[in-house]
Amino acid sequence: MFELDLRSRAPVYEQLVEKIKELIINNVLKPDEQLPAVRVLAIELTINPNTIQKAYRELEHRGYIYSVPGKGSFVRPAVPGNNTARLQTLEKELSRIVSEMLYLGTPPQKIITRVKTQLSKDEGGKMDD
Amino acid sequence: MIEVEKVGKQFQGVEALKDVSLSVHRGSIYGLVGSNGAGKTTLLKLLAGIYRQNSGNITIDSQPVFENDEIKARTFFIPDFLYYFPNFSIQDMAHFYTRIYPQWNQARFEKLGGVFNIEVKRRIKTLSKGMRRQVSFWLGLALMPDVMILDEPIDGLDPVMRQKVKNLIIQDVAEREMTVMISSHNLRDLEDICDYIGILHQGKMLIQKDLDDLKADVHKIQVAFSGEIPPALLQDMQTLYQEKRGSVLILIVRGVHEDIIRRVQSYQPAILDILPLTLEEIFIYEMGDNGYEIKNVLY
Repeated sequence: MFELDLRSRAPVYEQLVEKIKELIINNVLKPDEQLPAVRVLAIELTINPNTIQKAYRELEHRGYIYSVPGKGSFVRPAVPGNNTARLQTLEKELSRIVSEMLYLGTPPQKIITRVKTQLSKDEGGKMDD
Repeated sequence: MIEVEKVGKQFQGVEALKDVSLSVHRGSIYGLVGSNGAGKTTLLKLLAGIYRQNSGNITIDSQPVFENDEIKARTFFIPDFLYYFPNFSIQDMAHFYTRIYPQWNQARFEKLGGVFNIEVKRRIKTLSKGMRRQVSFWLGLALMPDVMILDEPIDGLDPVMRQKVKNLIIQDVAEREMTVMISSHNLRDLEDICDYIGILHQGKMLIQKDLDDLKADVHKIQVAFSGEIPPALLQDMQTLYQEKRGSVLILIVRGVHEDIIRRVQSYQPAILDILPLTLEEIFIYEMGDNGYEIKNVLY
């Protein structure tokens, strides 16, 4: 389903959380779709099952998935609005990118156009939010 | 479940292990790392019921392990130096094991033959080092152990075989909740399959922790200030290591990610970068903190 970078410094479970989150946000994993069973994924990726369990718990805690006892984990339909911390970091990231672009000589108008294009592209796909 | 409680072991006056305690839950993979001569092999041999401890308790599923046939029948130990009977072929060895390991699974043995791809009639002493290792895993996995104790197991295996062997171990952990205790010097090999790590040094357990917590607990930060480095910064943090390279200060710090960022930010650095450490780096810095240093070798 996906590849992990075992050479990366980031802990494996964090990478897993990020990958699955990405798949959910980009609608590759559809709402209410079942996630692969811990055992199956462990064998597929050659990763400790406890690590995968932990990633699933974290995703559940953050509200991306829900689990049904005896059945497995499923994608939670709408991402709840409790994302303030992440949004803050993303905002900081955005300002960092903008200042770097300005420093490297990108004209402000170009940055604005770029953002606008992206906005219109994303809004075409996702009407909610 | 493996429980080691305040275990000590001496060999003719040499203290190999001092007051070591640990527990490994069912279905967990525990990685044991340590400096040379730290006592890893001694600890593993105690767990395999080969040595008897001088003090403390060692139990597997609440039963003492030393000379305990019932526990040994469910435990498989791959030592650092493999031993097979002279002139035995793989088949002979398998036949021998069927009599001592009641959980031996002949169908599995045959199926695993397809993975390892070595002729069963070959005499083991004619095989190469890496192939003998493969034979030990082949036999070990066929006897369906509940506990696997591996001393430097990946040594001598080629990259493809390493991945195969790891995958086979993970399968047994995922499907049968096999418990694994594994020692290695190759920290990269432990990083992806272990969930718990213990660091031994001079017979003592320095740290043991969930691998992800261990990684989340130690960070490498690079900071630079436009002016002087505020001296209060260094006192404010629990640094394992510090180094100044030009105007950039590199620190290895213990603590929670957000907390560290907040603290360093309060000194208004010009640049702040924070990175998780690899297991290798954690090992090196923790050892350095305990007087086992390498200087100017790394970075």
